[in-house]
Amino acid sequence: MKLDPVALAVMNSRLAAIAEEMGVVLGQTAYSPNIKERHDFSCALFDAKGELVAQAAHIPVHLGSTPLSVRAALERLELRPGDVAAVNDPFAGGTHLPDLTLVAPVFIGDRRRPFAFVANRAHHADIGGMAPGSMALATEIYQEGFRMPPVKIVERGELARDVLALFLANTRVSEEREGDLRAQLGALSVGAERMREMAASAGRGRIALAMEALKDYAARLMSAELARLRPGTYAAEDFLDDDGFGASRIPIRVRVKLARGRATVDFTGSSPQVRGNVNANYAITLSATFYVMKCLAAEAVPANEGLMRPVSVIAPEETIVNATAPAAVAGGNVETSQRIVDVLFRALSKAAPERVPAASSGSMSNLTVGGFDSIRRRHFSYYETIAGGAGAAPGHPGASGIHTHMTNTLNTPIEALEAYYPMRVTEYRVRRGSGGRGLAPGGDGLVRELECLAESNVSLLSERRTLRPWGLAQGGDGAAGANYLVRAGVATKLPGKTNLTLKPGERIRVETPGGGGWGRAPSRRKHRAK
Amino acid sequence: MSARRLKHTRAAARPVILAGIDTGGTFTDLVAIADGQLLVHKVPSTPDDPARAVMTGLAEMLGDAAPELLTYSSTVATNALLEGKGARVALFTNAGFEDLIEIGRQNRTDLYALSPSRPAPLVTRAMRHGVAERTLFDGSELKPLSRAELSRIVAAARRSRADAFAVCLLHSYANPSAEDAIARALEPLGKPVSVSHRILSEYREYERLSTAVVNAYVAPTMASHLENLRRKLARTRLRVMQSNGQAVGVELARAEPVRTILSGPAAGVIGAAAMAKSLGTDRFITFDMGGTSTDVSLFDRRARIRTLSYPNGYAVRTPVVDIHTVGAGGGSLARLDAGGSLRVGPESAGANPGPACYGRGVAPTVTDADLVAGRLVAQSFLGGRMALFPERADRAIGELARAMKTDPLAAARGVIRVVNANMERAIRVITVERGFDPRDFSMLAFGGAGPMHACELAMDLGIRHVVMPRNPGLLCAWGALGAPLGREYSLTAIDSEPGFARVIRRARPLIERARAELAGEGVRAADITHEVFADMRYRGQSYEIEVPVTDGFVEQFHEMHRRTFGHAAPEAAVEIVNIRVRSRGAGAPVKPQPLAPARRKLVAVTKIETLVGERRRTIEVYSREHLAAGMRLRGPFIVVELSSTTYVAPEFTMRVDEFGNLHLEVSA
Repeated sequence: MKLDPVALAVMNSRLAAIAEEMGVVLGQTAYSPNIKERHDFSCALFDAKGELVAQAAHIPVHLGSTPLSVRAALERLELRPGDVAAVNDPFAGGTHLPDLTLVAPVFIGDRRRPFAFVANRAHHADIGGMAPGSMALATEIYQEGFRMPPVKIVERGELARDVLALFLANTRVSEEREGDLRAQLGALSVGAERMREMAASAGRGRIALAMEALKDYAARLMSAELARLRPGTYAAEDFLDDDGFGASRIPIRVRVKLARGRATVDFTGSSPQVRGNVNANYAITLSATFYVMKCLAAEAVPANEGLMRPVSVIAPEETIVNATAPAAVAGGNVETSQRIVDVLFRALSKAAPERVPAASSGSMSNLTVGGFDSIRRRHFSYYETIAGGAGAAPGHPGASGIHTHMTNTLNTPIEALEAYYPMRVTEYRVRRGSGGRGLAPGGDGLVRELECLAESNVSLLSERRTLRPWGLAQGGDGAAGANYLVRAGVATKLPGKTNLTLKPGERIRVETPGGGGWGRAPSRRKHRAK
Repeated sequence: MSARRLKHTRAAARPVILAGIDTGGTFTDLVAIADGQLLVHKVPSTPDDPARAVMTGLAEMLGDAAPELLTYSSTVATNALLEGKGARVALFTNAGFEDLIEIGRQNRTDLYALSPSRPAPLVTRAMRHGVAERTLFDGSELKPLSRAELSRIVAAARRSRADAFAVCLLHSYANPSAEDAIARALEPLGKPVSVSHRILSEYREYERLSTAVVNAYVAPTMASHLENLRRKLARTRLRVMQSNGQAVGVELARAEPVRTILSGPAAGVIGAAAMAKSLGTDRFITFDMGGTSTDVSLFDRRARIRTLSYPNGYAVRTPVVDIHTVGAGGGSLARLDAGGSLRVGPESAGANPGPACYGRGVAPTVTDADLVAGRLVAQSFLGGRMALFPERADRAIGELARAMKTDPLAAARGVIRVVNANMERAIRVITVERGFDPRDFSMLAFGGAGPMHACELAMDLGIRHVVMPRNPGLLCAWGALGAPLGREYSLTAIDSEPGFARVIRRARPLIERARAELAGEGVRAADITHEVFADMRYRGQSYEIEVPVTDGFVEQFHEMHRRTFGHAAPEAAVEIVNIRVRSRGAGAPVKPQPLAPARRKLVAVTKIETLVGERRRTIEVYSREHLAAGMRLRGPFIVVELSSTTYVAPEFTMRVDEFGNLHLEVSA
C-alpha cells in the first residue's frame, strides 16, 4: 500500500500530534514525581491489528516495549467498547513492575471490531514489593512487587472497583497510585476522542489505509538508513559489573549483520540470566536495539511498527537479555538496557566510525530512599537517577552531567526535595576529571551527596562502578563511578548495588561515571604550550 | 519607504506626541500619534547601534519635534543572548553547588541525538564562586553568612574582572537576607548585580538561577544602550517593552533586562490585540508566518502568559506572552525523503541563499511553491522593488515534482499542504492541547507569508473568520505605542487551605510594591489596576494552573483543570504554590485611522494564473492601496501590498472595514 508523498506527511503529522497531546495530558495531571517531574511515560496509537502507528516517546526504553504490552493485552482479553486493559507483567509484555501500561480500544459507531487502540505507559513510584520504590535488590519477581497480567481495569465504561482495590492494596502510596491512574485514563480518553474525530472528518477507511501506508513508509525509510551503514558483520562484547549477589563481569555479546538494508542483531552468547535484578526481558532488549537504530538514522524515522521491520532481534531465552519468570528484572530496565546500548554501539562503531560515540556513563545511578519521616509524621519513598558523562564522538566532546541513551528524566529540584522529604542535599556538582581523555574528551560525571534527617532505608542500584566506560579510537576510558557512606565525616566505599539503613546525620555520596573519550589526546606538554 | 510625516507648524502649542518603536533585525518601525494624527515610518535597522535607527527614524518622521512619550521594543538584550555577546559574569552561589548552572535539569533536548549537546553555560567555571552559606526551605539559616565570608566575596568579585554579578542561593525565596547582604556588598563595585529572589521569588533553584544569570549576562549591554538613548532623547519619557506585553520605565528595564528578551513578538500580539479590539473581537489566534519560522498565539480576552521559556536554550522564568514557534516559513526547504514522504522544514534556506526564486539558491522552498502556484505575484513582490526569478522556482519545484513523480503544480500544492499541516499542528498545540476549540476563534494573519496561507489553514481548522490587519508590518510598533505600564511580581507561598482573604493578604506587599513603582513612573493612582493570580494544583501534582483570584477561585480551578485536561477531582485537596500580582496603568489611547469609503470602482492591477483548489484558474489581483472601506468581494482573488500577499480562496468573501482591515468570512 502506497500513499502519495503529501498524504504521508500530513497523516504522519496528525497521528503524531494525537500521541503528543495524550502525553501533555498525562504529564500535567499525574501525581508521582516520576511521571510529572521526570516524564517517565509514553503514549501511543495502534491500528486495528494492534500494530504501533504513532508514539510520543519521552523515554526511549518504551519504544519497542509498549507494542508488546498491547499485543499481550489483545491476545489475552477481548476488549469491548468502554473497556481498558492494564498490564505490568514483565513476562507478558511489560518491562519492569513499576511501568504500568493501559490499553483501550477505539470503536467507531456500532461496528463490532475496534478501529484502533490507544495506550500509555507510566512509571509508578511504588508497586509494592520488599522495599519502597519497588526497585530493591531482589532475586525473584515475587519480591519486586505486585504483578499484573493483562486485566480489565475498566469494563464497559465502569471502573472495575475490585481490580482497583486489589491493586491499591498492594502498593505503599495508594492515593498517589489512584491519581496517576486517573491521569492515564484521562489521556486515553483524549486520544480515543481525537482518533474518532479524525475518522469522522477524513473517513474511517482512508485513515485505516493511511496507517498501513505509514508503517510501510517507516520500514522503507529505516531500510534506506541501514543501507547507508557499511555492510558487514560486527561483533562486540561488554560487561555488567555484577548482579549484587556474587556474579561479576556478566557478559553481553552481540553480532550485528548489516546487509541490503536489513540488520540482524543476535545476542547469542550473552550470559544466562542471573540471581540479582539486572535481568532484561525481551521487551527491554528490543527497545535498546531500536533506540540505537533510531539514533543512527540521519532522518527522523516515525516511531511505528515499520521502523522495526528491517531489524530482527535474536535473544535466546533464559539469558540476561531475554529473562524468563521468575527472574528479578527491576534493574534490567534501568541498568542492563544501558549496557545493551553500549555493546551495540561498540559493534556499530566499526560500521559508522565517523559518527558513533564512545561509551557514556552506562548507569542511571538509581537511588531510592524511604522510611518514616519523623518530622512530618508520614511514610515517604523517594527515587532519583543521577546523570553521568556522555561519550565523545569525532568533533563532539561529551557533555557533562547529562542523562544519556535509555533515560532522559529531569532531576528533582533541591528546593522541592528538601521541602517534602527528610533529606538535605549537601553537594551537587560536576565530577571534574572523570571524563576519558581524548582528542574529543568524554563528559564528566556528577557528585551528589544527600544527608538523611530521619532514619531511612537506602537502596543503590548502579553500574560502571568497577568496569569503566570505554573510549574509542585510542580515547581514554571514563572514570568508574563510586558510592560512599559518609558517617561523621568519614567516607566508606559501598558496592554498586546495596541496601542499607542510614541514621539521621549520615550521608550517601554518589560519584557517577564519566564518558569515554574519542581519539588520542594531545600530549600534555603540547596542550600546555597552547 | 512609505512614510507619513508630521506637518510641521510653528504654532505656539506643541502637539503632544506619543510614539511606539519596534527594532527588528532588518527594519525599525515607528508609529506616532500627534494631535490625533497617525504617523508611520520605517527605516533600516542599525544593529551595531540600534539607537541610531531610532534617532534617524524619529527625525525623519517628526522633524525636530520630540515625542512626549516613547515606548520602545528593543532587541538589544535578545541579540546579546542569541549572538553570545553578553557580559563576563561572575556568579556567587552556595559552595558545593557551583556547577548547577552547567548541569541544569540533567536532561537533553534531543532524545535520539548521537552526541547530545547543551548550550555553553553563560558563566565559565573559573567565574563561579562558592559561598559558605546555607538557608533551609522554612527560611531558617543552617549556616549563616559570616562577615569574613562577605569580605572574601568582595575580594573575589574585584579579582574576577567581571562586567556583571549574579547572586543565587538555595531557598532565597523563603529568606532573602543572605542574597541581600551579598548584593549590598557588591553594589559599591559599580557593576550591575542580578539577585535571584528580586527577579523571581519562586522555588525551583535551577530556573531561578538561570534567570538571574541571563539577566546579568545581558545587563551591561542593555544599560549602556538605554543610557545612550536617554541622552539623545532628553525631552522624552522613555519606556521599554517587556516580554509580557507591558512596558516599564528605563530604571527597571536596566535592572531586569531579562524581562525584555521576548518583547518583540509580545508587542506583535499586543498590537494585534489593540487592533482586534477596535474590530470588536477579543478571541483570536495570531498567525505570523515569516521567512524561517512561524509564531502563533492564542488571545482569549487577554494575552495568555507563560512563565517559563528557553530563549536560545537558556531557561528563563519570567512572564512572557505565550507564543508557540515552529520552524516553518517561506524559506523552509522542501524535499522527498528516502521513504517517499514530502518533508518541509525545519531546515531553511534562510536569508542566504534564500528561496530559489530570489536568484541565489537552487533548492525548492515554500516561497517557490507559492510562486509556482501563482499565489505570489512576482512583479509586485515587496512593492516591485525586489526582482523574483520565476524560472528558478519552476526549475526547483520541477525537480521536486520529478522525484515525486507528479507535475510541478501538484508538487507546489503538496508543499503548501505539508507546510500548512505543520502550522495546523502548531495551532492545535495552543488551542486543543490547552482545552480550546479553534473554531471559537478568529484568525489574525500577518507576516510576509501569513496572509497567503491563511484561508486554507483556516479551513483545515474550521475557523470561519480571518482578519488581515491594515499595516501588518507595523503591529509591533503599534503594540508598543499602546502598551500600558505594568509590573508583575510573584512569590512562592505554598498553602494547602486556599482562601480568598488569605491570598489577598499575602499578595498585599506585592501590590504595594507595584503601586509605588507605577506611581514613581508617573501613573495616576486612579489608573492603576491590580489582578491577583494563584498558581494552583491538586496536592501531589507538580504542574500548576494559573487561576485568577476571585471569590470562587477554588471552584474555578476545578473547572479549568477539567477544561484543560478533561477531568477534575472536586473532592481532592487543592494547594496554592505561587501567588502573582499583575498591575498596570492605563495604556495610551490609540485608535486606528479610519479609511475613506470607496469613491470609484475597484480595478484589478493584473490577472494571474493561480492554483485554486486543485486546478489552475485565472484570477484578479488587486492592490491593497485601492481598497476602500465598505467594499465586499467574493473569492478567489489576490490582494498585493508592500509587505505581503493575501490569497482569498473561493470559499471566502472579503469585506473591508472602516479602518481598512480585511475580513475574510466563509461565504454563506
